[in-house]
Amino acid sequence: MPVEEVLMLCFKNQALSYEIENNTVIISRKTTAEGLSPRLVLDVAAPPITGVIRDADGKPLSGVNVVIKGTKIGVVTNADGTFSIDAKPGDKLVISNIGYIAQEITISNQNLGLISLTVNTSLLDEVQYIAYGTTTQRLNVGNVTIVSGKDIQKQPVGNPLLALEGRVPGLFITQTTGLPGSGLSALIQGQNSIGKGNDPFYVIDGVPYISQLLPNVGKMLGNSGKNLSQSGNPLSFINPSDIESVTILKDANATAIYGSRAANGAILITTKKGKSGRTKTDINLQQGWGKLTRNLRLLNTQEYLIMRHEAKRNAGLSGASPSDYDINGLWDTARYTDWQKVLLGGTAQYTNLNATVSGGNTNTQFMIGATYQRETTVFPGQFADKKGAVHFSINNVSSNQKFRIQLTGNYMIDNNLLPTNDLTSSAMTLAPNAPPLYNADGSLNWMPNSSGTSTWTNPLSYLYNHYTNITTNLVTNALVSYQIFPGLTLRSNFGYTNLQSNEIATYPLLSSSPENRPNTDRHGDYGSNNINSWLVEPQLNYTQPVWKGKLETIVGTTIQKNNSKGQQLYGVGYNSDQVISDIRSASTIGVSSSTDATYKYNALFGRFNYNLLDKYIFEINARRDGSSRFGVENQFHNFGSVGMAWIFSQETFMVEKVPFISFGKLKASYGTTGSDQIGDYQYLNLYSPVTAGVPYDGNQGLAPNGIPNPYLQWEETKKMNLGVDLGIFKDRILLNVNYSLNRSSNQLLNFSFPSTVGSNVSAQNFPATVQNSSFEGYIHGDLVKRKNFTWSTSINLTVPKNKLAAFPNLSTSNYANTLIVGKSISIFRVYHFLGVDEATGLYQVADAEGKSTMTPRFPDDATVVINSLPSFYGGFENNFQLKKFQLNFLFQFVKRIGPNYWLGTFTPGRARYNQPSYVSDRWQNTGDKVSHQKFDPNFSFFGPWSNASGSDVAYSDASFIRLKNISLSWQLPDNVTKKAHFQFIQFYFQGQNLLTISQYKGLDPETLSSLSLPPLRMYTMGLKLGL
Amino acid sequence: MVNTYQNIRHVLIFMFLIATFWGCKKLVEVDAPITSTNGENVYENDATAIAVLNGVYIKMSSFGPTYGNYMNGFMSFYAELSADNLTLYDGVSNPSYSAYYMNNLQSSSSPNIWLNTYPVIFVLNSAIEGLSNSKYLTPAVRQQLLGEAIFLRAFNYFYLINLYGDVPLVLTSDYKNNAIIAKSSKQDVYKQIVSDLDAAKKLLTSSYVGGDAKTITSEKTRPNSWAAAALLARVYLYTGDWINAEKQADSIIMNAGIFSLVDLDEAFFRNNSEAIWQLQPVNVGWNTQNAILYVIPSTGLNNDHPVYLSNNLLNSFELGDNRLTHWVNVYTDTTVVPSKNYFYSFKYKSASLDAPVTEYETLLRLGEQYLIRAEAKAQQEKISGATGAIADLDAIRTRAKLLGYNGLTDKASVLSAILHERQVELFTEMGHRWLDLKRSGYINSVMGSACAEKGGSWNNNWQWYPLAQSELKLNNKLVQNEGY
Repeated sequence: MPVEEVLMLCFKNQALSYEIENNTVIISRKTTAEGLSPRLVLDVAAPPITGVIRDADGKPLSGVNVVIKGTKIGVVTNADGTFSIDAKPGDKLVISNIGYIAQEITISNQNLGLISLTVNTSLLDEVQYIAYGTTTQRLNVGNVTIVSGKDIQKQPVGNPLLALEGRVPGLFITQTTGLPGSGLSALIQGQNSIGKGNDPFYVIDGVPYISQLLPNVGKMLGNSGKNLSQSGNPLSFINPSDIESVTILKDANATAIYGSRAANGAILITTKKGKSGRTKTDINLQQGWGKLTRNLRLLNTQEYLIMRHEAKRNAGLSGASPSDYDINGLWDTARYTDWQKVLLGGTAQYTNLNATVSGGNTNTQFMIGATYQRETTVFPGQFADKKGAVHFSINNVSSNQKFRIQLTGNYMIDNNLLPTNDLTSSAMTLAPNAPPLYNADGSLNWMPNSSGTSTWTNPLSYLYNHYTNITTNLVTNALVSYQIFPGLTLRSNFGYTNLQSNEIATYPLLSSSPENRPNTDRHGDYGSNNINSWLVEPQLNYTQPVWKGKLETIVGTTIQKNNSKGQQLYGVGYNSDQVISDIRSASTIGVSSSTDATYKYNALFGRFNYNLLDKYIFEINARRDGSSRFGVENQFHNFGSVGMAWIFSQETFMVEKVPFISFGKLKASYGTTGSDQIGDYQYLNLYSPVTAGVPYDGNQGLAPNGIPNPYLQWEETKKMNLGVDLGIFKDRILLNVNYSLNRSSNQLLNFSFPSTVGSNVSAQNFPATVQNSSFEGYIHGDLVKRKNFTWSTSINLTVPKNKLAAFPNLSTSNYANTLIVGKSISIFRVYHFLGVDEATGLYQVADAEGKSTMTPRFPDDATVVINSLPSFYGGFENNFQLKKFQLNFLFQFVKRIGPNYWLGTFTPGRARYNQPSYVSDRWQNTGDKVSHQKFDPNFSFFGPWSNASGSDVAYSDASFIRLKNISLSWQLPDNVTKKAHFQFIQFYFQGQNLLTISQYKGLDPETLSSLSLPPLRMYTMGLKLGL
Repeated sequence: MVNTYQNIRHVLIFMFLIATFWGCKKLVEVDAPITSTNGENVYENDATAIAVLNGVYIKMSSFGPTYGNYMNGFMSFYAELSADNLTLYDGVSNPSYSAYYMNNLQSSSSPNIWLNTYPVIFVLNSAIEGLSNSKYLTPAVRQQLLGEAIFLRAFNYFYLINLYGDVPLVLTSDYKNNAIIAKSSKQDVYKQIVSDLDAAKKLLTSSYVGGDAKTITSEKTRPNSWAAAALLARVYLYTGDWINAEKQADSIIMNAGIFSLVDLDEAFFRNNSEAIWQLQPVNVGWNTQNAILYVIPSTGLNNDHPVYLSNNLLNSFELGDNRLTHWVNVYTDTTVVPSKNYFYSFKYKSASLDAPVTEYETLLRLGEQYLIRAEAKAQQEKISGATGAIADLDAIRTRAKLLGYNGLTDKASVLSAILHERQVELFTEMGHRWLDLKRSGYINSVMGSACAEKGGSWNNNWQWYPLAQSELKLNNKLVQNEGY
């Protein structure tokens, strides 16, 4: 029996109807009057007009606004997409929904049947993932920026956060080093907390993700923010290729629903999901090459020798001492090595291979992706960071559209092999006439003197010290929802994350100079860290028409637990270099640190969003949070926000009077958020082990961790945001402007106490207030929009301002000498530099009266305040499309002041250190008007030098404009592609950090460090295939 | 409409369900982590209470970056660098060494011994408070630990005031007070040291106890009442209380059953009978930090072995002084023509990796007590005779195979003979030379010429080390020492 016949029999006399589309049977409630008798139809004076609204895939759309044109009469569709409205034939219905193009339908008969809406491609209507839901830029009340996965995947980076640099107003990202897996700091709308964490709250597919790793071994990776014992960044273990979009939530309206954890904003990462349709396979092959962005001009051998000899002469020394190997004849003075070229001049290889398969039907969609990424370093030697990542997503919806389930998983294995030392500081300081790296026989050259003492530390010896970090990271979640009745859905999110890292740093004897080997132990550090967390987040979503609008309610609760366990062991005394990786071969094993922390978190949250005719939107967010990081007295706290938006372009007067403004919205929000980034157990009085290799009197020790504070309270940030969104000329030009004012009070100050206190004191709440205000502007223009050529451009600009608004009794607190009310909290107080004394040739600084002094006293004479925050930053992006070619480039710009390398390192001329070429302009004779003090080996010259390095001359303009990213692609013509049986074939070129324009007196204006590896300049070529 | 009411009822039911998930205190309560011990219990259990004191000894004894080079050889090394006994090798690039050596410290110079000392004082204050209030410890253990903690506090303050001058006197763990504490005068700190040592002397037993703080042992790694008396003797000497200084030193010297002068080569052995208090080395594979720093290996001087003995010290040795042959050794650098001799301190001899542990860092020893008693007697004009100052001085000289002093009668000559004897007896030990120069008042004249020899010029203010800049930043009640 054919299916049709079966169905006909089944549904005969039922209140349900069916229809067959493709191979799917769609069953719906009978919406027509066909089951009713003709008499009954006639009895109803004006039967309501009915219809069902679906999207292009045939999925019913709920919550769609159906309004009779010219009136205020309107309804919203039910969960099955049906609506029923009192209207008469001839009326026009305006059907509109977020993310879809609005339609007008003239009522011709009582049942309008199936109406299908097409997706709107306007930027205003693209879906935006926000906390516990989605919205669009059109309807969003909060201050939110979205970066699409496409933009992220244009950039050959290992950490998705790096792809956000220069793209997001209000977000400032700084990479700590150029090594793969480097630490980085991300600040959203400035630094709120004076002493505690300022990390955003990271959420991946609804599951909170850590912002800091546990204390670890890999120190050369640099810190993420201020934490000193943790290096690297946990987002390095998230694969950028798997990201669908990243949402940056900034104001109270967007973040208050995250309560205590989102005072520093939130970053939501949404991974890719499958789409219905034929099964597609996408393959992406990419290969690239990385070099150092810039070199610093250092002294060459000739200049260096002049410096060294002049220093000896200035000190009245007749000749070189036995240890002045560089000038006493032991080292070849005719030799010149550009150590930056030799040690940092290598080419880093970058390989990224990615394949995804996706597809599905209307009920079930899937996606599976796999990525292999390899990135080497610019150092000599075989070092590489290798990553393998798997991503999957399965969605299913029951045929009655009531039950939905989605399972998503992201798994990565990262094997990062690096040297334990960043060679950059060697490259910057080695004498230019230092000996060759290798002997004639190929062995490392230690250049021993006649007694066998090595005269230098061969920098390549550091490369024997290997650091291996093997990390596996799993982030997975399941989202289950059931529609209890139309409008009411019970959902629950279940999340699990597990980050396991195993680190080994080995120090073989080979890395020590030969004569020291008898007195050196081979040793190794072994770290093992695990952070796992689970999350259960049941929620109720209720959508209901209320009066003329739509009320969306979300109420939910969060139960979360994080377990952090870590152990760092050391082993000493191996009998060969080969066995150090195995701690079992050590003659002595000890524990250098261990971590064991549990964090529990429980909350009740809700959001009420009322949308009146897509014109007025009101939103309330609320959360009551409980956290184990606080003492019993203050475990719970309330947070909340109110926000509203007025889409004034919907007003008749706007439509009539200012028709070129196609979209206009004013929005405002105010609310409170908190921060609990204070570490675990701060309120408990705990003692931790003090251990020694050989126990004292047979016993190990204990010492207090610090002074506990059982009255810890939540740090609270009140955020206010005012914004305007404008679309001009049919949204060809989009403009967003936000002004935000955030005030963080009840500061959890990690008081830096003088050592007389003797211990860390856990944070104290202090009535100090930090104010961050920022102006954020974004403008996007579709300048040319032709069939074969499009050009769009966008600029974003942030002008942040940070100040310490209040600090009662600052002068008697121990911040008296570091903070100033009314100034930024990121200031340096320094002396004023007076240049080089023409008579003595020494640096001078000014005392409080402005008089020259050699012995300034801190803080009285530190009269200059340097603000290290950027005064503005942003990005400038252009996108061109000419037929099958596409070109996109992004410039990042930052205006700020930072510490420089102008003074060189450690009194130029004194020891065998090379110096930046700035020092050549030095004092030689009485009366010389020069920038740098005289070369002198005498230690007494260290005083003036260190005064100068604590003066304003050590800080200078560190502004830069960087061609952050360029991406050029060409898609093969369709006829060629079809012949080759591909969906598409695309060749592309991508570049990262290609050009840097900066006056910075140092190695890199972004890292502001001249002794660690700067971010690399990366070129890649690639091929994308669609099967 | 019925539907709506039903809906609302459903919503209320589910809201109630959600609320029950939430708000349970259990969901946000955590136990203390297994890696730590809860503070309230530490002082109610013998083992954990002992461990607190052990933590202090470990920090004092260990070297390397973990616990910050504290009371082991490094404190004494820096003080010696500042004085006139050592010459810094000119190939050393370590700026901390240069700064101490040239007496050219900055408030930013590191290491700053102050910064390492106060955290230990905090632990000791916490321990004193915890032990005083504890109820369940074995009484003998409690008494021993309290005595040790009070003794150690006095010991630390002794070095603080002798290196920095006036210092804040922190006696509690109350951080609010300690964060804004001002300096106390040296006299007041000395008063506290004396009262602490008196108390410790009463609390501690006269025998040495082991790791369980009660069993008698031959290890001298925990202070006993003799250690308290020995430090007390030194403190009285420094404060000019000659009678008490003599009395305390006398009580130790007269206890021939426990302490006696030993052969020069054995004076720094573990548990030798001259030692009054020693620290057991805790770094795997090594004896003392002292030996590592001073003994020059065959590969010569470098950053790890940065100093040799100054000509000034070498010239102070009298002809035939056995200390010059037993406590000083020579390294000959043959890479230069003519070859050059470097003399180095050889009191601690075991400087090679994985050698058996034969030497302990000696903090208090009998030899010093003889010199204390000699000086105290000389100040009281008790010069000659079997109980006079000269007899004590000669006891030390005899061990070094030197002839005794004959015919010295005037106080001034005897005192200067004692100062000389202290230099050649106590060089490279516990900063004695630096401290002696200061209290004797000779510092400006001695350092004036020593500094010139080092290639700098002496400033009278430099006898006190500077306070760290971070301390001044964080506590504006603190005043920087003059001249920095």
